[in-house]
Amino acid sequence: MNSVSNHRWAEKYPHLGQGPIAAAPFVSEDHYRREIARVFKTSWLYVAREEEIAEPGSYKVKRLAFADSSVITMRGKDGVVRGFYNVCSHRGNSVVTETGEETFGHSKAAVLSCRFHGWVYGADGALRQVPEEERFYACFDRRENGLTRVATEVWAGFVFVNLAPEPEQNLHDYLGDYGVHMGAYPYGDLTHSYKYHTTLDCNWKIAHDAFAEAYHVSTIHAGSFPDVFSTGLSDVQLFGPHRTCGVCLNMNMAPKPVAAIAQKHARGSLVAKGEGAMLPPSINPSGRADFAFEMSVAFPNLLLHISEGIWFTHQFWPLAHDKTLWEGKYYVRAPTTNSERWALEHAQLLQRNAWLEDTQTMENTHRAIASGAKRFINLQDEEILIRHAHHVIAQMMGAAAE
Amino acid sequence: MSTNLPSEFAPLEPLVEAWALPTQNARQAQRRSSSTETLQKFYDAVVPLLPKILAHVDQFPLGELPPESLRLSYISLALAEVAPHIELYRGDPNVPHSFDEERFIAVHGEQTG
Repeated sequence: MNSVSNHRWAEKYPHLGQGPIAAAPFVSEDHYRREIARVFKTSWLYVAREEEIAEPGSYKVKRLAFADSSVITMRGKDGVVRGFYNVCSHRGNSVVTETGEETFGHSKAAVLSCRFHGWVYGADGALRQVPEEERFYACFDRRENGLTRVATEVWAGFVFVNLAPEPEQNLHDYLGDYGVHMGAYPYGDLTHSYKYHTTLDCNWKIAHDAFAEAYHVSTIHAGSFPDVFSTGLSDVQLFGPHRTCGVCLNMNMAPKPVAAIAQKHARGSLVAKGEGAMLPPSINPSGRADFAFEMSVAFPNLLLHISEGIWFTHQFWPLAHDKTLWEGKYYVRAPTTNSERWALEHAQLLQRNAWLEDTQTMENTHRAIASGAKRFINLQDEEILIRHAHHVIAQMMGAAAE
Repeated sequence: MSTNLPSEFAPLEPLVEAWALPTQNARQAQRRSSSTETLQKFYDAVVPLLPKILAHVDQFPLGELPPESLRLSYISLALAEVAPHIELYRGDPNVPHSFDEERFIAVHGEQTG
């Protein structure tokens, strides 16, 4: 393997450079405000899975705190998913009363009615009914007071919204070759989920970066994934603002007794060899035998990982320059037997523990960078996805400043 | 509350009160509040029976376990929670070098099963 360059990714993508990365954007309030305006309010953002709103009349409300907004995505009787701001046209109350970051509901009639004064909207956003409508004045037109639309499109069962009034690209063009590369995985067949979230006192990019490399596996995961030697990334590919790679791991240790039994009963762990043909042909094009999973980022804030029998997402929602909502969602095929159910519990808990190890560094990193002691951070070649992330953001911010 | 298990698993009955817990949150809390010694004893008692437990629960359709078998299934799920701490974390009741588990919210944490 001596022929593999230590700087192969920089050689493949020379435009990203090799220098250190400025630290200020991690902790600057001004940078954060511009990032929200230039990146988050113009990009397509993943907010729901189609299975979460599978039936006509089903809806999900997702809070987008960075924009002081909540977005309703709702499936109409025509099967189409549409998105709206959760704001009533009457006096601005929330149409759907939210119970947290994510609120789910279903209306048999496929309508939404505001609890405040009973205004009723269709799943197409049209204002259907206003109690005592005759007491409003001649200037009030029901047809002009539907819910405010949010651009909403679906890719591979992932529902995305874009808060720009007129998005520059549709979702298909926005995802481009990334959508082709990741699109053929059977996400909709693996719907048994385990979901976690927490609020981290760190910038969203610190959380993103901590997950976007495999350099940390042998240190951070020495507890949960011991002797899983990271052999680097494979097939790094950049698709516009998006990015992907294979993560290759050598699993040197025979599984411990309970782990071995779990692996026999179900495919649920990333650190066990997966057999099968679930991964699309676009994945692992080099055919590496130590390939473990594909790690990809749909810009700006969706990390999407796929492996044989398992897929999972991380999302990083900015709440403030030093506050981030992290969500981790882990999906496997629904168990069919009680023993499979048990084995998935084991695999999923080990993954939870690994995520507890991952999230441990993030607040410390933010606090340390905020000290101002370091003006730059340093990245090695296997941290190319992080370099790309910062490059894309800087480009968008720069382009916006011109 | 009854602590009965299917008769062939009667030796595990002393573990029922502490460990036959219906939710992931409850099993996690029990693990975190246990000593290394308690975790080791629980692990040592259940692991040898695990293949038999899994064969037993598979006599029933998914999610349709009678009460005795359901209690047994909860004990096996508690083992899933405990095993990494014995097999990987040297008996530490917490995940070493980890984020605060209290702040890490499992959406499914209060679901039964």
